Amino acid sequence: MTHHPQTRAWRGIGLRRERWHGYYFLGPSIVLILALIAIPLGHAVVTSLYRVRGLRSDFVGLDNYVRLFTRSEFWDSLQVSILFTAVCVFFHMALGLGLALLLNRLAFARTAVRIGFLAPWIVAPSIGALIWVWMLDPQFGVVNHLLVSAGILSEGKAWLADPTLALVSVMVVDIWRGTPFVMLLLLAGLQGIPKDQYEAARMDGATAWQELRYVTLPNLRYLLVVASTLDIIYTIRHFDIIAVMTGGGPTGATEVLPVLIYNTAFSQNAFGRASAVGIMLLGIILIFSMAYLKLTKPGKARED
Amino acid sequence: MSTTIKTIARTAVSALALCIGFGGVAKAADIVLQWQATALSEAQYEPIWKAAVAAFEAKHPGVKIEPVLVPRKDNWTKFVTSAQAGIAPCLVSVPVPTAAFNGYLMAMDDLWAKEPDSYKAIWSTEALGAGRFEGKLYGMPHYAGIYGEIYNADMVKAAGLDPENPPKTWAEYLDWSKKLNTPEHNALALLAGPTETTTRVLLSWIYSNGGKPFNDDFTESRFSTDPRTVEAIKFYLGLETEHKLTSPGSAALNYAEQTVLFAQGKIASMRNAYWGLAKVLGDNPAMKGKIMVTVPPANSPAAKTVATVTTTSISANCKNPQEAWDFIKFLNEPDYAVQMVSAANWMPLRNDLLNVPEVANDKVVQAFLAMGANAVTIPLPTPAWTQISSKDIVEAVQRILQEPARIDAILADLDKTVTDHLQDK
Repeated sequence: MTHHPQTRAWRGIGLRRERWHGYYFLGPSIVLILALIAIPLGHAVVTSLYRVRGLRSDFVGLDNYVRLFTRSEFWDSLQVSILFTAVCVFFHMALGLGLALLLNRLAFARTAVRIGFLAPWIVAPSIGALIWVWMLDPQFGVVNHLLVSAGILSEGKAWLADPTLALVSVMVVDIWRGTPFVMLLLLAGLQGIPKDQYEAARMDGATAWQELRYVTLPNLRYLLVVASTLDIIYTIRHFDIIAVMTGGGPTGATEVLPVLIYNTAFSQNAFGRASAVGIMLLGIILIFSMAYLKLTKPGKARED
Repeated sequence: MSTTIKTIARTAVSALALCIGFGGVAKAADIVLQWQATALSEAQYEPIWKAAVAAFEAKHPGVKIEPVLVPRKDNWTKFVTSAQAGIAPCLVSVPVPTAAFNGYLMAMDDLWAKEPDSYKAIWSTEALGAGRFEGKLYGMPHYAGIYGEIYNADMVKAAGLDPENPPKTWAEYLDWSKKLNTPEHNALALLAGPTETTTRVLLSWIYSNGGKPFNDDFTESRFSTDPRTVEAIKFYLGLETEHKLTSPGSAALNYAEQTVLFAQGKIASMRNAYWGLAKVLGDNPAMKGKIMVTVPPANSPAAKTVATVTTTSISANCKNPQEAWDFIKFLNEPDYAVQMVSAANWMPLRNDLLNVPEVANDKVVQAFLAMGANAVTIPLPTPAWTQISSKDIVEAVQRILQEPARIDAILADLDKTVTDHLQDK
């Protein structure tokens, strides 16, 4: 063996230095997460323990949470949130899958059609909502004009002034806006399904419905669960469309939890109570987020 | 020391030097006063405030006014957000009781005290009262809006009604409204949208019946227990629920929608302040000369209307209160105040303007001023005003329109909610 007297004994110093390099690269992300998420979240938790009136605050402990659970406001809003999320996610998934299947079969103008279907998602939510407000205007809106002209309605409806119609309207707008995202996800999944499975099914005499049921859906199962979990997380947090279209009204019919937070903070000047609602909403979202993380654990897709 | 650490250290020192340099430069720069008011977005007021700002800056070198444009419905939210962060615009127009209670405004008594008696004498106690909270002055009056009944004169004539003999009682008003409600246009728009205007119009009906929806010190709500208030609410909301005289979608109608409907000939009348006319004429100049203004119909000898006073305040975090005060005074100078009357239809609040020809010779202004002599001033002097006016009362109105048979129960719930808020619970 050749001896090299100039060579130092290896102590792993190089590896430790490389490990520090990893932290340097992570640093900006950690700072960003602390600044944009951890610190405001901590502040919200602290605020939820105070009764805040403007620039004055008094420590009240868990009073804000007790008030939350003992008044109907929060439960009504939670009910609206659950209904809104359930209906919107169902239609996002159903329509998204339908559109993805359609686009997957298109042989021509595929890109143009895809861009067309993506348009609702590209438009800023508040701008889209504002356009819908104009379209749904009871006197001047194009929706009433078309429906009355087509004989579907005998007279125009006050879409945003009736509690039930207002909820349906904001759901329709959210479905219009949210479907393209699901469509994109599922389209990517469809294009990953091996074509020989379809060939084999056809050789066995499978109908289109049987192909969908026994080939497409099983292959998409993991993606469907992931997409619906993500969609629930996005939809339950929605604020902009409802805030622009109805502000949570009329009579609280469209007041989902994020809108309740806003109204509590700014109309009622109760930042402490609003923070308490926010923490509860965070808890709900965390449950779905943990489910999402569990589903997307590396190797989970292969297991399925 | 490694190269990386040396690089980081050099960068930090350079950044620090830059900050100090900029800080030095900033100190030598102008004083910038941000000014937030919904009126800045009104087309008819824009040339007036721009001229005022230019003139003020010319007269006060080193002071710049930076307007902050904000939609009407976002004014309070934007102000509160910035006030919470300690960076609210120096000059704001917000409801004084709520803003002062929350610590968002600076008391201006010291600045007021320095003014000569001749300046103080031009402001009435009532006008200044709108800017006071717990005895301190938090807002200087800027302009007022007095609520009257406004009709489309052509539609009145087409309905066979006499424009020289407008309704003075509720019964006459109902009769007029039934005749003005046609397949082409509705008689009126009932405001039930989520803004304070809904409450202002409702209160104008209540006060026109001699109603007292609150006790004298604003600690108790009496919407369900004061008979005159209940009667007024039932009559006003009955225009929609019983008589079907209103345009559709009340729960989505606010001041802006109402004036658009009137300008477009979709409604024959509106309960609005004089400034609504300027907006209507801005939207539809063809309506000039075709608008009737009358005192709101009354149902009681103790009838009053509603006058809303807009004040300009200084934020608690303002670092240049003297300059801000100087600008507030400048905005209220006769030249600009008179222009506001002519162009923007804002009621003058300075005593010394009442005999100025533009004011004295304007019949419509005089009619509104006469109405205003017998008016209840809004905002009401309670810190809960913002909440009860833009949420509690609005929701109750919306619920009654949905379930008119439950009006008594809804008003009882409203009283419970509003009383809690009045008592800061």
